[in-house]
Amino acid sequence: MLLRSSLARIAVQPTLGAAPAGARNMATLREIELRLKSVRNIEKITKSMKMIASTKLAKAQRAMQAGKQYGLANSEVFKVATDDKSSARRLFIVVSSDKGLCGGIHSSVSKATRRAISNATDSPFATAEGSSVTIEGDSPVMVIGDKSKMQLIRALPQNLVLTFNQIGRDIPTFADAAGVADLIIKSGVKYDSVVLVYNKFVSALSYEAAIMEVKGAEALKESDGFKAYEMEDDFTGDLAEFSLANAVYAALTEGHACEQSARRNAMDSASKNASDMIGSLQMQYNRGRQAAITNELVDIITGASAL
Amino acid sequence: MSSLRLVSAAARRVPSSFGIARRGYAEASDKIKLSLVLPHQAIFTSTEVVQVNISAATGDMGILANHVPSIEPLRPGVIEVVESAGGSKKWFVSGGFATVHPNNKLTINVVEAAPLEDFSVEAIRTNLQEALRVVSGNGSEEDKLEARIEADVYEALQHAVSSK
Repeated sequence: MLLRSSLARIAVQPTLGAAPAGARNMATLREIELRLKSVRNIEKITKSMKMIASTKLAKAQRAMQAGKQYGLANSEVFKVATDDKSSARRLFIVVSSDKGLCGGIHSSVSKATRRAISNATDSPFATAEGSSVTIEGDSPVMVIGDKSKMQLIRALPQNLVLTFNQIGRDIPTFADAAGVADLIIKSGVKYDSVVLVYNKFVSALSYEAAIMEVKGAEALKESDGFKAYEMEDDFTGDLAEFSLANAVYAALTEGHACEQSARRNAMDSASKNASDMIGSLQMQYNRGRQAAITNELVDIITGASAL
Repeated sequence: MSSLRLVSAAARRVPSSFGIARRGYAEASDKIKLSLVLPHQAIFTSTEVVQVNISAATGDMGILANHVPSIEPLRPGVIEVVESAGGSKKWFVSGGFATVHPNNKLTINVVEAAPLEDFSVEAIRTNLQEALRVVSGNGSEEDKLEARIEADVYEALQHAVSSK
């Protein structure tokens, strides 16, 4: 809102330039002063948001490390049980969150989902496991987080089946993930495997969209790799449900850490831009003030010498 | 029962190569790579250990190196990890899955776990009584079932702590 009003003011300025010389000077000085004030306020806000994101990032990274190990241990079974039928029906779960002001975090996962569903050459599947995988155009999509929901509701309106919000405000808990998994199972959507599209933490400065695949109970039973495992009774259904919750948890924690680091970076550059803007505005303001004083002096002196 | 399972688990072990043919990392094949992870904490990550005793839903079992691949759901109970001959650590876990993989890896995903010595005997007793009271009370079926599960966990915990 603040930004918008200051932008509007920039747009207004040229028309002000047409005003008479003396009046304009005073008006612009006042204008510049107001703008300086608002930019300073914006800087204060972005700076404090950066501080908040930095402290949250440390916590989020710790949670991510544990969550990542949890996810790795969980996905070990699926590494063994791989024999991809290219016709498998995949359910996409896009993992993002509700809040903005964090760079391209949300559009990163939304774009990856769109690329995957349209079977684009740079789809996350093409790089992950060879281009033999084709995705059905009507694959169901579920979204965690309002921001990505708004993006995908326009791009893939007919694919969207379920959306979640209010998750990922704080460090995700296992209860959150279990709730999501429970609703996915209860929704009655038929799938052979679940594909989680999430942001992978590369470094504190960068992230990339990645996919994690979890097979459903039926697909596991048909997999040859899975038959190597010995089981006393048939726990495949339980295992598939538990694995889904675990995978959702791992994706949530990693996505959360990415979001915090992206927010920190976004707010860092916003503060930098604001201080640049303050510098140039201050310069403009001082110049204007000096010019006004000089003008007044000239007026006084010419007036005095005319007497 | 549990000792029987232990024996059969040991018997299932694929016999590792004998002394003459063995070269290089002689010790490596005697150990299994354990990952014991909770959602909020990784207790072991691909750490080489000698033996892991788990309380699976079908019975207690011990897992040594080169165990056949298998998937075992866990019931609330004790996981004992023998890192080297002699020393062992015990955790009480709430439930999850233990999976032995073909590449001599054991991954255990559990929702919650804590070292056995961290539990208070008094707290277990009072909470168990509370749960049992709900079970025998006149709440809804759902509440009773929940309390029954709770009581089972406390009973397992009490047994684990007292037999420490």
